[in-house]
Amino acid sequence: MKPLLEVKNLKKYFSTPAGQLHAVDDVTFNILPGETLGVVGESGCGKSTLGRVILNLLPATDGEIYFEDEPIVGVKRDKLMQLRRNIQIIFQDPFSSLDPRMTVSELISEPLETFKIYKSKSERIKKVESLMDTVGLAARLYNTYPHELDGGRRQRIGIARALALDPKFIVCDEPVSALDVSIQAQILNLMQDIQAEKGLTYIFITHNLSVVKHISNDILVMYLGKMMEKSEAEDLFNNTLHPYSKALLSAIPDPSIDNRRKRILLKGELTSPINPKPGCRFAVRCPYAKQQCFEVEPELEEVLPKHFVACHLTREINQL
Amino acid sequence: MSTMSVSAAKKIPKKKSRFAETSRLFAKNRLAVIGLIVLILLALVAIFSNQIAPYGEDEQNLRNTLQTPSAEHIMGTDNLGRDVFSRIVYGSRISLVVGFISVGIGLAIGGGLGAIAGYFGGRSDNIIMRVFDMMMAIPSMILAIAICAALGPGMLNTMIAVGFSTVPNYARVVRSAVLTVKQQEFIEAAHATGSSNVRIILKHILPNCLAPIIVQASLGVAGAILSAASMSFIGLGVQPPTAEWGGMLSAGRTYVRNQPHLVLFPGIAIMMTIFSLNLVGDGLRDALDPRLKR
Amino acid sequence: MKLLEIKDLTIHYVLDEDTVEAVNHIDLALEKGEALGLVGETGAGKTTTALGILGLIPDPPGKVISGEIIFEEENLLTKSAGQMRKIRGEKISMVFQDPMTALNPVLTVGDQISEVIKLHQNIPIAEATARACQMLEMVGIPAERINEYPHQFSGGMKQRVVIAIALACNPTLLIADEPTTALDVTIQAQVIDMIRDLRAKIGTSMLLITHDLGVVADICDKVAIIYAGEIVEYGNLTHIYNETAHPYTKGLFGSLPRLDIMVNRLNPIPGIMPDPTDLPQGCSFAPRCLNKCDRCDIEPPQNHEISPGHIVRCHLYAEDADDCREVK
Repeated sequence: MKPLLEVKNLKKYFSTPAGQLHAVDDVTFNILPGETLGVVGESGCGKSTLGRVILNLLPATDGEIYFEDEPIVGVKRDKLMQLRRNIQIIFQDPFSSLDPRMTVSELISEPLETFKIYKSKSERIKKVESLMDTVGLAARLYNTYPHELDGGRRQRIGIARALALDPKFIVCDEPVSALDVSIQAQILNLMQDIQAEKGLTYIFITHNLSVVKHISNDILVMYLGKMMEKSEAEDLFNNTLHPYSKALLSAIPDPSIDNRRKRILLKGELTSPINPKPGCRFAVRCPYAKQQCFEVEPELEEVLPKHFVACHLTREINQL
Repeated sequence: MSTMSVSAAKKIPKKKSRFAETSRLFAKNRLAVIGLIVLILLALVAIFSNQIAPYGEDEQNLRNTLQTPSAEHIMGTDNLGRDVFSRIVYGSRISLVVGFISVGIGLAIGGGLGAIAGYFGGRSDNIIMRVFDMMMAIPSMILAIAICAALGPGMLNTMIAVGFSTVPNYARVVRSAVLTVKQQEFIEAAHATGSSNVRIILKHILPNCLAPIIVQASLGVAGAILSAASMSFIGLGVQPPTAEWGGMLSAGRTYVRNQPHLVLFPGIAIMMTIFSLNLVGDGLRDALDPRLKR
Repeated sequence: MKLLEIKDLTIHYVLDEDTVEAVNHIDLALEKGEALGLVGETGAGKTTTALGILGLIPDPPGKVISGEIIFEEENLLTKSAGQMRKIRGEKISMVFQDPMTALNPVLTVGDQISEVIKLHQNIPIAEATARACQMLEMVGIPAERINEYPHQFSGGMKQRVVIAIALACNPTLLIADEPTTALDVTIQAQVIDMIRDLRAKIGTSMLLITHDLGVVADICDKVAIIYAGEIVEYGNLTHIYNETAHPYTKGLFGSLPRLDIMVNRLNPIPGIMPDPTDLPQGCSFAPRCLNKCDRCDIEPPQNHEISPGHIVRCHLYAEDADDCREVK
């Protein structure tokens, strides 16, 4: 199958007073239509920046992105508008991503108005009502303001907005991180149902490995702007190869008291990728790091079928 | 919630207007409501001055100069025998007009430039704000006096001078409000849905900046009235024989020892107006603050 | 020996138009040296309970309606403001969620630690500073960093400093409100590890407030599940994790995506938490409960001790609740 979205050697650098911040550094992946790519990492790994570059909300520094074989880096405005219809975003914070002065219906119909999709007002209202129904918002909330609603319902508004233009692809930037667990599960189920129904493709950005495992086909682990490991979801969890992924996985507090896992504690702290030194970015915290890791940057390599790892020592550590 | 009947659930509640919501919250603040009532009364007085004032604005009676308050002249008369009450009634027109128009001038210029500086940032921001920084280095009263002295006295020039001297204040308020709103995620969300810059400014940024602007403006009216009164006091503002509170105060100060009512009543009028405007401004600030609404 | 015992605590926020029933008839007990996890979702009343213990409920609008908070055999609710100030920091201290705002940016971390010590113990400055160094070492920060300012520390390090401040006076009870929620996973693991070490070393009793059942399993001995201001289930780790009894607790576990178990769909709890200004007449959880029966709508459930130390507030476990069990 042809991939819906192709990202090739994507780079996004920011100039900061302290130097060049390599937020996204040489990231390459494909997403097949109807599938979900989970992007995991901790703060400063560049996962949110990646989503915004794909959406063209931030210009890419270098690299290419193809959506349905069309390049989307640096496109002109009319082309961009067309792109916006196909690529949408669901934001993390359902409290700040909705204009507090607009009602639920105004918020959902806004994208319809900007694209002037429906000629008559009644058609538009019908569409808004059907969208509210799709995401499970009661019709009586039509004229309420977001601040009168709880986080789960607000996130449903965000989802309805993203769906309004019938996009093919949605960037989900931590869509459930701000929600309570019982609501989080409702939203995850909703997103899966909508995906199945409309054949949507997701890129699901999160710091929560359990969530990403639940929802994704493929998973990409990032650290300080770099890809560390990418594989099919099951594979990543059953056969974790990269030392960082291993540590990340073992660090998740497990809500069970049986067979407690042995925890790998990383030393040191997360830094930000400003003027990164040569070598592997994870080397300073890596329990296995050798001289080579501090000098040569590891290339992403297909160690096992469909299982990519950027680590000099993968074979040694995992006895492959 | 779950017990709601089907028919009730189908009924969609009306959109609550922000105006109604704000008025409800405003009404809870008793002092602000009192301030608003005083202002409304003042506005009525200004509109119906001809009917209310027992004497003409400039009706002299030289046989009856410097009278203390009596049944005939409830606030006494001045050195030309004019009825102080009537002059205060007519003066309310000038004060209110000067107050609101000056603020309008300041807000239109300052607010517009402030919004441009805030939204586009970068070089335009730098140029605009540095010019205003220079203006702010001069005390606004002195600036107003200088402008008025250059343009010559008169009501229109007073308004221009007072309005212009407050431009930097409004620019700062609007710019910082725009900057705050611009960083909110829903602006990025609007970009993601393909909204144009114009739409974003008009539909998302300005409505969300309104609260601080309204508050600053309502407090600004008080300041403008005071500045206009001060200008008249030093002889640069509205010229006699037009009744103006500051001018009356200025003319009365010669007689302050023996006829204190000549300064007392215009003084009280100015004080009451400013005080109620400040109360209303504070009330609006509280009513418009979404954080207090939840 | 019981260090802290909360009996029938009810705290309401009385607003202009309505009353927020934040905490309703809570009973909790914490033994000396134990760690109790208070688990609940946003708005369940976790933080209000903690502030209640510390006597920091803002009044108005907050009001303690009923109950007792017995700490070291004295009722904290009858203490004066001055007495409470003495207790806070010295006997009971608190760690807040956000380490970024909990520290004063213009004071060095050493000053901030020694300040608490000086406030409660009459000791010379040099000694307080020495103790501050000791505290820093204890939370895993080299003592040479004592003269650095908060902005020179990363998030995880700041939270360590906050914990050092909280522990500076050797409190008997530490209340930690979501101490690791704002941190990244690998950093959270470090901080959890440190908290466990510290508990083993100094044996401070702890009340851990969190929404994360994983963190509780790592740190605590006992767990209390709070929903809409009520403790719905209370017990030790085995009771809660392996013998889960209350439908809400079961729902919480069903909502969690798990690493070890593969499921295609999660089983979320339907609906949302009731408005705390308008709680249902019967059981607060009834509108969302999958095991609901008629009496749940009418009658608030009682506490039932289904095995020693495992208390569940649900009609399913009443002796005369056969009708409920049948429905299920």
